[in-house]
Amino acid sequence: MIWVWIALAPILGGLVYGGERVLRARMQRRQGPPVLQPFYDMFKLLDKRTLIVHAPHALLGVAHFFVLWFTVAAIFLGWNLLYIVFLHLFAQMLLILAGYSVRSAYSHLGANRELLMLIAYEPILILVAVGFYLQSGSFDIAQIVRGGGYLVQMPLLFVALAMIVPIKVKKSPFDVGEAHQEIVGGVEIEYSGLFYEFLYMSRFLEYIFIYSFVFIFAGVSYGLGAALVAGVFLLVNLVDNATARVRTMHMVKIIYAVALSLSIVNIMWIVL
Amino acid sequence: MKFFTAFRKKSPWILHYNAGSCNGCDIEILAALGPKFDLERFGVINTGNPKQSDIFLVTGPVTYRSRERLVELYSQIPEPKVVIAVGSCTATGGVFRGMYNVEDGIDQYIPVDVYVPGCASTPQLIIDAIVKALEILETKSKEIEKPFKLFGAIAMVGNKLSRLNMATRVKHDEI
Repeated sequence: MIWVWIALAPILGGLVYGGERVLRARMQRRQGPPVLQPFYDMFKLLDKRTLIVHAPHALLGVAHFFVLWFTVAAIFLGWNLLYIVFLHLFAQMLLILAGYSVRSAYSHLGANRELLMLIAYEPILILVAVGFYLQSGSFDIAQIVRGGGYLVQMPLLFVALAMIVPIKVKKSPFDVGEAHQEIVGGVEIEYSGLFYEFLYMSRFLEYIFIYSFVFIFAGVSYGLGAALVAGVFLLVNLVDNATARVRTMHMVKIIYAVALSLSIVNIMWIVL
Repeated sequence: MKFFTAFRKKSPWILHYNAGSCNGCDIEILAALGPKFDLERFGVINTGNPKQSDIFLVTGPVTYRSRERLVELYSQIPEPKVVIAVGSCTATGGVFRGMYNVEDGIDQYIPVDVYVPGCASTPQLIIDAIVKALEILETKSKEIEKPFKLFGAIAMVGNKLSRLNMATRVKHDEI
């Protein structure tokens, strides 16, 4: 059963992405695209002529997608949370290498920003994992979701996690990595057709990845987990519609000044 | 493949390029994309990236400064693609027709599928043009489309097709 969910993970993420585009449109009093729009996009991309810069560049994009898929599979199978964070780091490194491997200035700029995003959110993810370890005595997700009361013991870590969700799903005010017209997609810029499709699908997997961190805060109660995910999802989209993009260094400063200190305070409070 | 062709008209991604326009048409395009006219309900995204676009939305008469970029962007869009000329200037040169620094309309350089009249053309007209362009997009094949001028050869590097020289620079003595 769990393998079916793992196989369906990109489709699940696609539905979340499609639903999000409708939700954002409704927040702006627009009609918005159909919920299945991401899949229409994917089918269309299959019908385009594919331009490749060089083979390793295309391959790194594909590898990024599959490593990310493996990471999501590891989450579904309840593996070690630290492994999962570092697997995700590996997937991001592949993407950054792909960005640096072509000569496009925008691609390099995007890879730089992707690195800075990594620097911003990675400590928070690790501290969240440490928080779970201190509470449940194990890094295994299977063990963590058998416990409970995380929200009471680690409220500040939850706030910190909610702050880095917009970075991961590329939403304002922290959408510096994609930055629509500013750097035209950053690392994605040189991909087209079939190979862009892999990057497009890896965005769906990012949704599953980061929202599953939100989900396990509920512990044993799956209903509370669904409510948390829905709440953070609404909040992130509301903030996305209401704010402008901050500068890259500004983003790192905000995350370090607020989210990181909140996490450290929370960890100290658990330990002491 | 035949199955995927039906999805072309469901997700047209736009590349908008200003080839020396007065910004009148650009503002109307942004209005068409914005909440009131909501082009996104047809699945339209303003990508800004030629390699992932289907529709090339050009405004402005082609000035001497912008023609290289126009051809470059056009040849970077993977097929199938359609070109929409938005506004009188783009279609015929408009009030700038015959001026020393302007080419009369983008069809001097690249093949145009849909012309939109008006100075500036209204968002309703632009939406109409995009719907019309989608009909044309569905009938197109994946064969390489070439610009008329500033066109270099499509070379074979090894056994692969190279587009590197498809758009060429203007030689200095030609100006």
